[in-house]
Amino acid sequence: MAALQRVASSLGTSASTYGSCKGAGVKVSDQFPAGLRVLVVDDDITCLRLLEKMLRRCLYHVTTCSQATAALKLLRERKGCFDVVLSDVHMPDMDGFKLLELLGLEMDLPVIMMSADGRTSAVMRGIRHGACDYLIKPIREEELKNIWQHVIRKKWHDSKEQEHSGSFEDNDWHKRGNDDAEIASSVNEGAEGVLKDQKKRSIAKEEDDAELENDDPSASKKPRVVWSVELHQQFVSAVNHLGIDKAVPKRILELMNVPGLTRENVASHLQKFRLYLKRLSGVAQQGGISNTFCGPLDSNVKLNPLGRYDIQVLAASSQIPPQTLAALHAEFFGHPAGSMVTTVDQPALLQASMQGPKCIPVEPGMAFGQPLVKCQTNMSKRFPQNVVSAEEVASGFVAWPSNSVGTVGPGSNLGGMSSQNSNMLMDLLQQQKQQQQSQQLSSLPEPSRVINVQPSCLVVPSQTSATFQAGNSPASVNQNYSRSPMIDYSLLSPQSNNSSLNIGQVSNGDLKTTGVSGYSGLGSISPLSSCSVNPDNSSQQVQSSTMTIRAARQLPGLGPNISNFQGSYGAKSSEVLDQGPLRNLGFVGKCTSIPGRLAVDEFESTMSNLEHEKFYMEMNGNKVKQEPNVEFTDNTRVGIPILSQLPPTSSDLMSVFTE
Amino acid sequence: MDSVVLLQRQLVDYTAQLFNEGFLDDQFNQLQQLQDESNPDFVVEVVTLFFEDSERLLNELAKALEQQSIDYRKIDAHVHQLKGSSSSIGAQRVQKVCIAFRNYCEERNIEGCQKCLQQVKNEYSLVKTKLETLFKLEQQVLAAGGSIPWPM
Repeated sequence: MAALQRVASSLGTSASTYGSCKGAGVKVSDQFPAGLRVLVVDDDITCLRLLEKMLRRCLYHVTTCSQATAALKLLRERKGCFDVVLSDVHMPDMDGFKLLELLGLEMDLPVIMMSADGRTSAVMRGIRHGACDYLIKPIREEELKNIWQHVIRKKWHDSKEQEHSGSFEDNDWHKRGNDDAEIASSVNEGAEGVLKDQKKRSIAKEEDDAELENDDPSASKKPRVVWSVELHQQFVSAVNHLGIDKAVPKRILELMNVPGLTRENVASHLQKFRLYLKRLSGVAQQGGISNTFCGPLDSNVKLNPLGRYDIQVLAASSQIPPQTLAALHAEFFGHPAGSMVTTVDQPALLQASMQGPKCIPVEPGMAFGQPLVKCQTNMSKRFPQNVVSAEEVASGFVAWPSNSVGTVGPGSNLGGMSSQNSNMLMDLLQQQKQQQQSQQLSSLPEPSRVINVQPSCLVVPSQTSATFQAGNSPASVNQNYSRSPMIDYSLLSPQSNNSSLNIGQVSNGDLKTTGVSGYSGLGSISPLSSCSVNPDNSSQQVQSSTMTIRAARQLPGLGPNISNFQGSYGAKSSEVLDQGPLRNLGFVGKCTSIPGRLAVDEFESTMSNLEHEKFYMEMNGNKVKQEPNVEFTDNTRVGIPILSQLPPTSSDLMSVFTE
Repeated sequence: MDSVVLLQRQLVDYTAQLFNEGFLDDQFNQLQQLQDESNPDFVVEVVTLFFEDSERLLNELAKALEQQSIDYRKIDAHVHQLKGSSSSIGAQRVQKVCIAFRNYCEERNIEGCQKCLQQVKNEYSLVKTKLETLFKLEQQVLAAGGSIPWPM
């Protein structure tokens, strides 16, 4: 009965909307679907004319357009004036899929694709991009008589979601969709949350979790789906499990097994996710991305970077112009993956990162993001170590997590990490900067790598110090870090293990494709102790190859460090632990969401770095730094997902992990 | 009256022949069915659009195949569109050649593409002539005071 009522109401809604652009009187629900406002886009004027005629015979209100760009302009100018869009796939000015993608992100319109290309792959592509239907030319009138069903279906679902939605997050999501950063909804959320108020964020997360828990099918009102990091993690895990090409909403839904989640929820999210991946792949055009990554993984990796970038941009809020970011991106990416292999590029990367203070925010992000994106190369080569370090740390966590394996871990953890993470990021950034500087000074790629690793190590006192000494100038900063970390190590390590476990799980899910084994190995290492790590680090400094190994060890060390910090901080640490997992999950799972958070964190850290670079220096020495340390830990956690991702990408990383 | 009936029969026969020879398929019937009082010249209008667009595409294709470095993607896009429009009006033989054309394009077979361009040009010319003849017959029937027996 309720369902019937909903249908009725949705019908009424659609009917009323018809009137908005035209005379309202004409559209009465009982005349439906007469008056359905259809926009037809086809560069083939013959087809366009035929379609117009056929649609008119269906009593639809038809608007034709022979150019995709013009159609997009029209749709943007007259939002709400169309109920459904029929678009050809092959158009010279804009690919129909691109139009579909833009429409899917900017407006909630059902889009029907049409093409003479009826190959399954082509149809699949259309569906993947979110087309609600795919008509093969020549199109017959009978097929058009039914297209109103897509309008009703969409409206019905929307109204259903609106009825149930208690939060605006999803709406925000859609709104954000207009921005370039939109792709990763979770990222945005994370970015926003972190930027606005990290603590608040953590609280909000808990609320979100609560909402999710309340998402009970039995409840008459089903909440609008909030794609929390955790949920996204599950989603990504399912997609990874199925393979990005074979992942269909139904199967994803089955794998996720989340009560209350509907196939449409998943389909919608999948659509956005695919678009996100597509964009990412577009961004990361380099062939550098190793084939080793699974499709999903790659995308994840990429996503992270993007997310970070976006976040950074957001965080920078005009301070760092998108162009700058893009430029940085270009620079970094510009360096081929090959550079990864060759350490030589590192100096360049470092320099790039080093470049102006403006860049700083970006840099941190870059470092993190890049690794994620290009992972292998970028990580090792450029910021390499910094990033690597963070990643490594992360990996270390991952390893632990892997033990726990459960993907779910994230949920509980999610809570408090963000703020801490940001701190961590800050520290990392600082460290990175320092490291970078030192690296630059040294100008030795390998050393820089080591340094990078050390940064993560930095968190870990002993390690960092060792690395610094061996490595180079970075020492000063590192030392500071190392100090606080040192203390923490002993204490924290156990704790960190716990947190790491959760994270690890997440990362594992993402990583699935990647060498989990390597991670696990690392994980095992990490538990061992920070001490081992430290020694390794020092040795790593000396040799690049060692670096990898060291990194792995360092990672464990980092993990412990983090945990230590938490312990010392007490309340914070606990929060961190909770949140950490969530973030990590987010990172790992969705990459996007996590990345976003990460990115935000990075941002903040970067920002803070810029402003507080000196402070950091001081901070390092001071106990105040402890907070940074905590943050580091968070970062580390965040990094973990990254690390996991990274390992797959870069052989180097892998080797390190394995060790 | 006899002349009208004769013309009508001629029209019907000619149309049937076009179908039998594979120049047209059922999509052309669809097209004819779309012609109504509000658009008495709909078929001619659409087919004329098809002629214009096809000639443009054929010229583009000829140009593209003359290039030193052949842009197969561009060729494929043109052929794809020609396939779509020809299928939309039921110009079956043109459509079929387009399918072969695209295959050669995919193989980057320049000779195959050039061969197909010739074929598609021939088929296009044929169907254009046939359709123009058909339309002339229709006009004659109408001029003689008869009605067009569509849809058949």
